[in-house]
Amino acid sequence: MAFFEQHIHDEPKTFLSKYVFSFDHKVIGKQFLWYGIAFLGIGGMMALLIRWTLAFPGEPFPVIGQFLFPQTGGVVPPDTYAMLFTLHGTIMIFYAITPILIGAFGNFCIPLMIGARDMVFPTLNMLSFWLAFVSAILLLASLFTPLGGAAGGWVSYPTLSTLIGSPGVGQTLWCLALFVLGVSSTMGAVNYIATIITLRAPGMGYFDMPLTIWGLWLTAILNAIFLPVLGAGLLLLTFDRVFGTTFFLAGAAATSGSGDPVLFQHVFWIFGHPEVYILILPAWGIVSDLLSFFARKPAFGAKATALAMTMITILSTVVYGHHMYTTQMSPLLTQSFMMLTMTISIPSSVFFANWLGTIWKGSLRFQTPMLFALGVVFVFGLGGLTGLYLATVSTDLYLHDTYFVVGHFHYTMAASVLLGGFAATYFWFPKMFGRMMNETLGKIHFWISMLGLNGVFMGMMIVGYAGMHRRIYNPFVYDFLQKLIPINTFITISAITMGGAQIFFVINFIYSMYKGPKADQNPWGVGTLEWTIPSPAPHYNFAEIPVVKCGPHELGNPGLKNGRDFQYQTEELVECNS
Amino acid sequence: MNLYSLYMKLFVASANAAEMSLWERMKPPVDISTNGFRIDHLFALTTYLILFFFVLVCIGLFGFSYLYRYKKHPKPLYVHGTSKKHIAVVAAIGALVFIVIDMQITGISNRDYMEHFNKWPKETDDIVRVEVLGQQWAWNFRYAGKDGVFNTEDDIVTLNDLRLPVGKKIVFQISAKDVIHSFSLPNTRQKIDAMPGRIHKMWVELTQPGVYEIVCAQICGTFHYRMKAQMTVYSKEDFDKWQDEMQKRTSFIAEKDSADLYWGWKWIANN
Repeated sequence: MAFFEQHIHDEPKTFLSKYVFSFDHKVIGKQFLWYGIAFLGIGGMMALLIRWTLAFPGEPFPVIGQFLFPQTGGVVPPDTYAMLFTLHGTIMIFYAITPILIGAFGNFCIPLMIGARDMVFPTLNMLSFWLAFVSAILLLASLFTPLGGAAGGWVSYPTLSTLIGSPGVGQTLWCLALFVLGVSSTMGAVNYIATIITLRAPGMGYFDMPLTIWGLWLTAILNAIFLPVLGAGLLLLTFDRVFGTTFFLAGAAATSGSGDPVLFQHVFWIFGHPEVYILILPAWGIVSDLLSFFARKPAFGAKATALAMTMITILSTVVYGHHMYTTQMSPLLTQSFMMLTMTISIPSSVFFANWLGTIWKGSLRFQTPMLFALGVVFVFGLGGLTGLYLATVSTDLYLHDTYFVVGHFHYTMAASVLLGGFAATYFWFPKMFGRMMNETLGKIHFWISMLGLNGVFMGMMIVGYAGMHRRIYNPFVYDFLQKLIPINTFITISAITMGGAQIFFVINFIYSMYKGPKADQNPWGVGTLEWTIPSPAPHYNFAEIPVVKCGPHELGNPGLKNGRDFQYQTEELVECNS
Repeated sequence: MNLYSLYMKLFVASANAAEMSLWERMKPPVDISTNGFRIDHLFALTTYLILFFFVLVCIGLFGFSYLYRYKKHPKPLYVHGTSKKHIAVVAAIGALVFIVIDMQITGISNRDYMEHFNKWPKETDDIVRVEVLGQQWAWNFRYAGKDGVFNTEDDIVTLNDLRLPVGKKIVFQISAKDVIHSFSLPNTRQKIDAMPGRIHKMWVELTQPGVYEIVCAQICGTFHYRMKAQMTVYSKEDFDKWQDEMQKRTSFIAEKDSADLYWGWKWIANN
């Protein structure tokens, strides 16, 4: 299948070429993993600052508050609060989840799982990481500008994000940072698409690819199509800020001529809705694979799952209007977007049916990756179903811009994607570092995280239904929200619990990297191609390009006679004679 | 000192919790409009339907996890889920979700939206017209005054103070001066964005006199959280009384030719 000969180059010798400016997809994947985890920590800290302010308005943030906000004696000031939630959203979406799920596992898994020696364009791959690095510097630099970082929400609607609402240079840097990151992600996406199309091992058809690869592939396609749209929007916004154009300006902000702020919302959400699926698709793929691997039985309806993911990818491009019900679009558009949005639940229910079908009559091993995968099914069930309230226009009139929305998208984008990312980390850690992670710490990490995140996000939906709006520094200036103080306190305590649980992960991760028990070639007993090579994966992965003869989920075949309950993808499918 | 005050806060919070049940706290603010109940009903219906399916997912998830754990069920069933029977089951689940939840709630929501929320009262009806202008960080309200024409000298203009009668249809035309705001009336379950350069509209009919809060629901800058206005709902008689009194006061405004007073616009007729 491979379109060209994949040469093996010499292993790089110097530190710089081996660990810093490496062309090796495995090293780049690890670089993205570190990058993502670092930002996950920053974004999580910001979340705690936000939560603290909501639960204890006017109270100084303990311990580090005095150093962060000396002018106010440790209390988060309102303008900083706006900056915090803006950057929390931006960082978590673009600088934490995208690098971890797509940057790290995309890079690491794609060549290994399709039997390639590297990406098609290794230089582009390296450039993609280093542009992401530049973008991170731009974003962090914006924090140190005179008026602070961007504070217009992660959606940065004009005219608030133009000079009239945020005159500081921080917002401009934010636009540029996201633009550069968009370029970086597009480079990565083009690379992934090309690699999956051209470098699949001989014999591997599209439906012989693991579902993880399906998820990453569809994500890359969405990224390649829609990130440029965001880039265009951000560029126009930057022009409005820097060169005095008026694409998005109206009202008092428009000194000459007049644009339309709604235009930006259309541009933003044409990208923004697919972005939700960009984040979740890899997690779906990973979960579909892991459920099968740890239930020791083939993925139920794997082809249907792949097609359902494709279906969602297509549908995700035509439903963006449900983010804009309150902008009073024409009723015909509103009705159409509502109907189209609803159709997404058909492929989604196909997943759920298939996931449950996979564990039905399996032989379930509850190792840490499996726990996280099952956790995704649970939280994504909640997150997906609560989307229905927001898809119907009349309930959205009430719920729009409340914490209900925040709870909903955290269930889908934060909880599901994060749990999926952790599942992937625990699962591929042996192949990455050649050592196993600790199971006990992993399980503690899972259960405390699960407890914390459900407390946080369920609580958010509850206060949202009770009327609490988003992005409000002190909700309790409103009389009708006074009653929500105890629930907000509960949410914050849950958030601290969830944050605390990550300490177990960090300890486990760092300790296992150096001191964990050595992993053998195939610790989980799985037949996909990356487990046919030693752990950690050697330079240029496959000494001999493998030839694929069966699907990725061949487990539990009663016809197997060699003492294994699974077969490698490089083996001829054994006749099932039971 | 930090920890002490935190303990106090927690203690006080839990003392409050005793006064009001969690269930009470979770309820949305009181509905004072003729159409708000439609949203509450749809929300409740969606909740029941969702709970039904989520319980099914949980039964599958926890039930299978328990029944088919390794110790109890060491021999997995070797199926790929590609038989006609399996495909039919999966397709049936997809269709069931679509028909049982989606079609139901979409139908109801569509009906409510087209026949109520988006069905504008006739201009010839006896309606109250209010122009709303959001700015950083306040709400301006404008009533046409006795001549019935907006942006004239006799307009009643208020800041963060909206007064409305019960039992009459009220039509708002909403815009913003500087950045996007969102005119949200939690007690009527409705909100509409206020955008510079655009005039949006919303209508409500109120049922209960009282004092309620108006929220800005869209982030609009540092003091977004303080962009709160008050909505006072009167009986028809009280509203007329208030309007008459305000009308008298408008004739005392000194700077009648100040351009700032005339932020309004010509009322845009619906039909």
